[in-house]
Amino acid sequence: MRRAGWLALGLVVATAPWIVAAVVPRQQRYVLHVLIFTALFAALALSYDLVVGHVGSLSLAHPAFFGVGAYTAAILATGARWPFVADVLAAALGAALVAALVGVPLFRLAEHAFAVGTLGLALVASVVANNWVEVTRGPLCITGIPKPTLAGLAITTLPAYYWLALAALAGVALLYRGLTTFRLGRAFHAVRDNEPLAGAAAINPLKYRLLAFTIAAALAGGIGALYVHYLSVMCPEEMTVALTVNLLVIVFLGGVGSLRGVIVGAVLFTALPEVLRLAPTWRLVIYGILLLLVVVRSPEGIESLLRRATASRSAG
Amino acid sequence: MALLEIRGLIKRFIGVTAVDRVDLAVERGELVSLIGPNGSGKTTLFNCVTGYVAADGGQVLFRGRDLTNAPCHRVARLGIARTFQQVSVFPRLSALDNLLVFLQQHQEERLLARLLRTRRLRRLEADAIERARGLLELVGLAHRADAAAGALSYGQRKLLAFASTLMSDPELLLLDEPAAAVNPTMINQMKQHILALHRQGKTVLLVEHNMEVVMDISQRIVVLDHGQKIAEGPPEAIRRDARVVEAYFGR
Repeated sequence: MRRAGWLALGLVVATAPWIVAAVVPRQQRYVLHVLIFTALFAALALSYDLVVGHVGSLSLAHPAFFGVGAYTAAILATGARWPFVADVLAAALGAALVAALVGVPLFRLAEHAFAVGTLGLALVASVVANNWVEVTRGPLCITGIPKPTLAGLAITTLPAYYWLALAALAGVALLYRGLTTFRLGRAFHAVRDNEPLAGAAAINPLKYRLLAFTIAAALAGGIGALYVHYLSVMCPEEMTVALTVNLLVIVFLGGVGSLRGVIVGAVLFTALPEVLRLAPTWRLVIYGILLLLVVVRSPEGIESLLRRATASRSAG
Repeated sequence: MALLEIRGLIKRFIGVTAVDRVDLAVERGELVSLIGPNGSGKTTLFNCVTGYVAADGGQVLFRGRDLTNAPCHRVARLGIARTFQQVSVFPRLSALDNLLVFLQQHQEERLLARLLRTRRLRRLEADAIERARGLLELVGLAHRADAAAGALSYGQRKLLAFASTLMSDPELLLLDEPAAAVNPTMINQMKQHILALHRQGKTVLLVEHNMEVVMDISQRIVVLDHGQKIAEGPPEAIRRDARVVEAYFGR
């Protein structure tokens, strides 16, 4: 029964472009666009949750890594005409490198100072994107980023891009599961739950924090690359602190440290505001009320509501 | 050569010398207790030895190797396990996982192997689970294996923390007040556990306020007062030592 449910959901998600074409043919492009955004945001939020949810460090630097990746890909794809796969890898590597370099001094800071330090990094990255005009073209944006080509296949249509984004999300989700369960996950959680005791268990907290931080940055960089290839333009506004706020909302309201919670959060808080545009005047009100409801009713996020719902169903 | 040798250890906090030139040697297989009034520097000494606070002077040798001010995770890896006075567990991990955390770092594994969960790693994991279940059984927590450690009672958490230190089969155990704030039945249980470890040939250094326990099980007692070692010897001698009586009860 449960298995069938998951299968059906998977089928719907995989065939979404056709369903959309059949159900809302006139708004097909718009709906697909929202779905692509949702998939990319879900992947980005999962990468963010590796740090926030699993090693318990409140990093606010994610836009910086997303931006480093996005600009790396944009510059390599337009200037040097690098092939798609190569520039995505370079984007991930570049972001990981920045994370590894700033991570060592940042993780020496105590909790709150760490959050402020990472916020500083995000702000600096944003200032650099705006002002290093020779490289980033500043507010003029980098334009004309080519559509990706994968194994000789040009990904030009929206459905094709949707499947690419979905594959990226699936890849990130698999990695997320691999990293956060079993032995590695246990070490991450030990560091998160009780750092002194983790030390007594022979775990080097800095090593595991840095590992999660760097992997998360690499994923954010790679997703940034996919993002700019999709939009074909990269502007400094894409990597402001607003992105951090978005990610915080998705992760904390969805369910910190939970694969299902983060994905549900990404779907709700990326797709929902778009859908609610149908009632533009009420949109912000509804959005606000929903936020409030979740925070009041279920501070652990929507995930805990889902958990309780499934628990009571199997009990009853 | 003593298993643990502390030479002239000094730790100063602002205005106070918490540990003042303490020398202490623990032989392999010994059961030694460290006693002294509150604030005499026992826990600080533990923290210096296990890398939780940096000493201001002196040396710590373990198996003849200089361990002075090594980070705590390295100290643990070399075979020194410790408990904490304020009972310390991983509250969101299950009781079973709490134990597993303590073993895995001692088993060589590569990041890629962990991600791919190689067959060798799966076997290590299965062995680890078996060992963890055995220890839960030993301390009477087998029925709570899957409960979050944070949901256990104080006494159960204390037993879990104690079992954790045994996971990696350490040579030396530093136990910080294992019998504090628990009921008489459990005090007795703890005593039996510590004696069992001693019989197995483990080396135990114990900080404890419960004199009955200390006098009952220790082979040797070291007394600290104001950070200084004021006496050392077998229980009968310590019981009669004038300086010890004075330190505890005043003149």
